[in-house]
Amino acid sequence: MIDVEKEAARIAEQGESAPRLARDPINLPMINNWLEAIGDQHPGYTEVAPPAMVQVWTMAGLHGQRTLDDPLGQMMGILDEAGYTSVVATNSDQTYHRYLRLGEQLSVTTSLEDVTGPKRTGLGEGWFVTTRSTWWVGDEAVAEMRFRVLKFRPAQKPAQKPEPVEETPKAQAIRPSVNRDTEYFWEGTRLGELRIQRCGGCGLLRHPPGPMCPECGATKPKYLVSEGHGVIYSYVVHHHPQVPGKQTPFVIALVELDEGVRMLGEFDGEPSVGQRVEVVFTEVDDELTMPSWRPRADR
Amino acid sequence: MNAAIVGIGATDFSKDSGRSELQLAAEAVRAALADAGLEPSDVDGLVSFTMDTNAEIAVARELGIPELTFFSRVHYGGGAACATVQQAAMAVETGAAKVVVCYRAFNERSGHRFGQVQTAAAANIDNSWSYPMGLGTPAAMVAMFARRYMHEYGATSEDFGRIAVIDRKHAATNPHAWFHDRPITLDDHQSSRWIAEPLRLLDCCQESDGGVALVVTSQERARDLPQKPAHVKAATQGSSVDQFTMTSYYRDDLTRLPEMGVVARGLWEKSGIGPSDVDVAVLYDHFTPFVLVQLEELGFCGRGEAKDFVASGALELDGTLPLNPHGGQLGEAYLHGMNGIAEGVRQIRGTAVNQVGGVEHVLVTAGTGVPTSGLVLGQG
Amino acid sequence: MRIGDSLPEWHVEATPTFVISTALATRDFQDVHHDRDLAIQRGSKDIFINILTTTGLVQRYVTDWAGPHALVRQVNIRLGAPCFAYDTLKFFGQVVEREQQDLTIEVVGRTAHGDHVTGTVKIEVPA
Repeated sequence: MIDVEKEAARIAEQGESAPRLARDPINLPMINNWLEAIGDQHPGYTEVAPPAMVQVWTMAGLHGQRTLDDPLGQMMGILDEAGYTSVVATNSDQTYHRYLRLGEQLSVTTSLEDVTGPKRTGLGEGWFVTTRSTWWVGDEAVAEMRFRVLKFRPAQKPAQKPEPVEETPKAQAIRPSVNRDTEYFWEGTRLGELRIQRCGGCGLLRHPPGPMCPECGATKPKYLVSEGHGVIYSYVVHHHPQVPGKQTPFVIALVELDEGVRMLGEFDGEPSVGQRVEVVFTEVDDELTMPSWRPRADR
Repeated sequence: MNAAIVGIGATDFSKDSGRSELQLAAEAVRAALADAGLEPSDVDGLVSFTMDTNAEIAVARELGIPELTFFSRVHYGGGAACATVQQAAMAVETGAAKVVVCYRAFNERSGHRFGQVQTAAAANIDNSWSYPMGLGTPAAMVAMFARRYMHEYGATSEDFGRIAVIDRKHAATNPHAWFHDRPITLDDHQSSRWIAEPLRLLDCCQESDGGVALVVTSQERARDLPQKPAHVKAATQGSSVDQFTMTSYYRDDLTRLPEMGVVARGLWEKSGIGPSDVDVAVLYDHFTPFVLVQLEELGFCGRGEAKDFVASGALELDGTLPLNPHGGQLGEAYLHGMNGIAEGVRQIRGTAVNQVGGVEHVLVTAGTGVPTSGLVLGQG
Repeated sequence: MRIGDSLPEWHVEATPTFVISTALATRDFQDVHHDRDLAIQRGSKDIFINILTTTGLVQRYVTDWAGPHALVRQVNIRLGAPCFAYDTLKFFGQVVEREQQDLTIEVVGRTAHGDHVTGTVKIEVPA
């Protein structure tokens, strides 16, 4: 007897599959074929691709096969063995962080998010298998998909609909965009480190960061990890309008860190200029941790 | 510069124009050409803001402008206003074009509202240090400067409010102003709700639908046209050290607008006049605190002294430096500063509703907190 | 574009040509989307539309209504009855959330066999 849950845990532990490259860079002929087939006359897709095409770029193709480390393929194999031989897709939730431009080279990684079951559904007993794919341009995550299939043992009388899965979307906090020059910072917050760019040439500390030191011209930025202590240099109490992911009123403080650079963040407390603060990290999700400030009692 | 503004045109200023932005642009340009006594076929140059949604070629199509030899855009939101005239004047001086129209038209109230949080703007790397932290509106971005300014110079919310009161007083007697006949008191200002502390509702300019256009040509050509020309005595742009758009928070000093200081130096040097020669000041007023800082950057008073300068009554129509006689963007309309240039032209012509006596020179500034621009307009 | 606004109903005729050309344009070469004999052999009544096309149609339905300046941020769909060749797929939609410029639109795509797709699309309207 196959222990589906144990196998699922093993596959989930493997984490993300290795990045798989799209066959071609984002290109106009493919876009035009897609627009023509779908019948979409949207005039805007001359330099960017339709967002809903994101998965198209990384399809395996006519003779394509799943890679060995593909978690969905592995999980399908296990469920086949366990007697759940039929499959139907139930959900595809795609989030587009930005529009993709001509010439950009996509890659995709996939991880197994969840396997639940066995459940009785209209189609028969089965397991819901959920994967999460991320599309990348270089190191930048540009789109994500949560994809769910029902892998089931066909019942006598197949019904029309699989069991519905509820999703309740709510206003999401604004996410930073991240590029090569700034990723060290967001990597740091994920690890609970407040990183300040430090020039590899002359040691200049700088925030916000940039690729070239304005003092010495070096292009080898490094960073130091800040103590995370500073004082409020200025602040705003935001009342109107509503801000996605925030409850008004809330305070945003411009903090001068002890290392000498200034940084913005939400502040939890009664603010005043000159007040001592320290950094706090709030995990938004696996990819994003936001730094913010709270009063510091030491002085 | 060998250039003059010879025509001004505008649509009505409203909260819901009921027409497309292109129609607003086309109507404003047509009105400006009629004012200048020129035909669409005389136009060979067009300049607008990067933010404007109306392509030069679309405006040319609507107007029946057959050929263009010069078209250009200026970046950084309202900071572009006076720079459109600079572009036009340079084009005319160099012979790149003979007649250039500068335009700006939008449905900024009924359509895309700048005062709301622009989630899409977070895609910009610079904005990734502010928007995700919850700092996502122009008002809040200015409020961060204002708080520090108050801290360093002891300015108060009332000091900001006096700017709103003056603008609304001037708008009250301007029939074209949205707030015509609706002056406010300092108490009204103090009792208006917080938007982003320390900014109250009445510190923030209104949102408007409308369009404004300006016609620029050479001084020789201007002599043969019906309107009294407003000569471009000086025009310049300004950006300064460690410049950001609205969030230049990482400089040594948060109480200044050094990019406006760059503009000031350029204007005084090129025009040969100084602050004491300015008869009317049309200062960009999307948020009141930056009017105070501009007065300091432009040399009308010392650092931190703007609150006393304002309280002295200098900015009244009969004061030493009449401010925004049309009511500014707080009172007349928010047209990204272009309506202020039109007011400058009227003050030179002597045809403004709140005309100041004996105007030789008008100073006009563009958007603050962003890379910006400025103009000195004068008699021939 | 306010909460409660309905999108105009839209009908897609899922001809075999449509099913096949969209499957190929989305680089989906599974036989059930282009080979009727094999599709029937696998227990299906005909070839049917692939998921990537459904996603594309949902996006098109919303952007046709919202205009070319709307930015699509999210397409979340739940899949139901297949949409076979010769089916008519009817789309209905309604604005269910609006936070400033961010709109959430609920979309249903229905054939004679039932709901083919239900979902939500998040867009941002700049003007």
